[in-house]
Amino acid sequence: MDASAIPTLNAKDYKSDIKPVWCPGCGHFGVLSALTKALAYLGLAKQDVALISGIGCSSRLPAYVNSYGFHGVHGRALALASGLKAARPDLTVIAAGGDGDGFSIGGNHFLHACRRNMDLTYVVMDNEVYGMTKGQASPTTQPDWNHSKLTPHGTGVRRFQPAAIALAAGASFVARGFAGDPNGLSHLLTQAIEHPGFGFVQVLSPCQTFRPEQKHWKQMVHPCQLGPTHDAARAAELIQRDDGMALGILYAEQLPIYSSTHDAHASLDLIEAEFEL
Amino acid sequence: MSTPPGQRPPAAPAPIDDVGEFLVHALELEHESAAHYEQLADSMEVHHNHEVAALFRRLAQLSDEHATSIGERARGVALPRIAPWEFKWNCPGGGPEGGDCLHGDVSYQMSAVQALELALHNETRGHAFYAHTASDSDDAEVRELAAEMSAEEAEHLKLLEDLLAQEHHRDDAPLEDLDPPHMPA
Repeated sequence: MDASAIPTLNAKDYKSDIKPVWCPGCGHFGVLSALTKALAYLGLAKQDVALISGIGCSSRLPAYVNSYGFHGVHGRALALASGLKAARPDLTVIAAGGDGDGFSIGGNHFLHACRRNMDLTYVVMDNEVYGMTKGQASPTTQPDWNHSKLTPHGTGVRRFQPAAIALAAGASFVARGFAGDPNGLSHLLTQAIEHPGFGFVQVLSPCQTFRPEQKHWKQMVHPCQLGPTHDAARAAELIQRDDGMALGILYAEQLPIYSSTHDAHASLDLIEAEFEL
Repeated sequence: MSTPPGQRPPAAPAPIDDVGEFLVHALELEHESAAHYEQLADSMEVHHNHEVAALFRRLAQLSDEHATSIGERARGVALPRIAPWEFKWNCPGGGPEGGDCLHGDVSYQMSAVQALELALHNETRGHAFYAHTASDSDDAEVRELAAEMSAEEAEHLKLLEDLLAQEHHRDDAPLEDLDPPHMPA
């Protein structure tokens, strides 16, 4: 569609008619608000956006956005999103999910999506807990968190560091946002979507039900001290030194983007015929 | 958001001195507010808290009506396009009515009193924004419009305070949770 023919849309136009089943007060509402604001600001036609997710509370996001969407299997949002982007590079592809889905079940996909650097955006709504299954420790949970029957003494395991690992794995855009600041988050998401390459945004998104203490994140988050940097070594130092609550773009660099360079040798009909039983 | 040690807090945004810019802020404020209340009403319906859902739905309608009346005033005025992160929410408490989406004791079991307290918090911030602009702007027309809207918001506040006073007299038992989260003592 010609961009000039796209009618002006506002954030509300990108919300679907499906009512979210998230707990009232959940941080994910702020992410939904920020994402729809970003899409409206960018003026993206709904049919040119695909939102891909795995499993979990946050992975319900595609149902609530009025665009193309795919609610996939656990941990496979990035695999699906990468395949879609390879087949349809014209689409704006956004993968979304939670910390368990993205860093545990889908941890391997995360590493390789970072280094592959396809032109897509990955939004992880990090609440440091598996919420949909009623509150178990996730990869980003503190080692001494003992509020689950599965880990009555805590996991005793060091936390997964999303930003540090994304940077080490080769991501070309690493940012951290906060669900309690939908306007600031919409700015980060806009920049991640516009970034040519893999844009990773870790969103601190409090879980009202299983991590009520995260309500205090509002007082703990602060702007990133050094601001965006193109220097990976400087970014690594910044990320290692920060308290995990610094918001903003932590690293952004133009790196070669992976795209399919070979044409298909077989027609779709032939491929389908090979799969016939 | 807190400011890290050794860093200066961000500078306050410049005052709003253009009628179009002010009207865009006012429209955004009311649309945000309506969207926030609609979202809360939807959530309460999903979680079968129908009384509070109806209350939020009514509050959303009030914000929608206010937005419609601002839209009528904006007819014929050139309205600038402002990015969500570039609004000048320069008032005590900061942010539009719905912007503080994590404020308050929001839960599926919330009572009408808690819902009204949340709404009061939101409307107070809206009122503060208009009152601040009415005194801060260098443009006389903006000051006049902002004062008008501040007076309208004050009426909303009064309505909420009256409703809250009525609700405080009720002695409802908290909603029973048949499927509570499993948390060790």
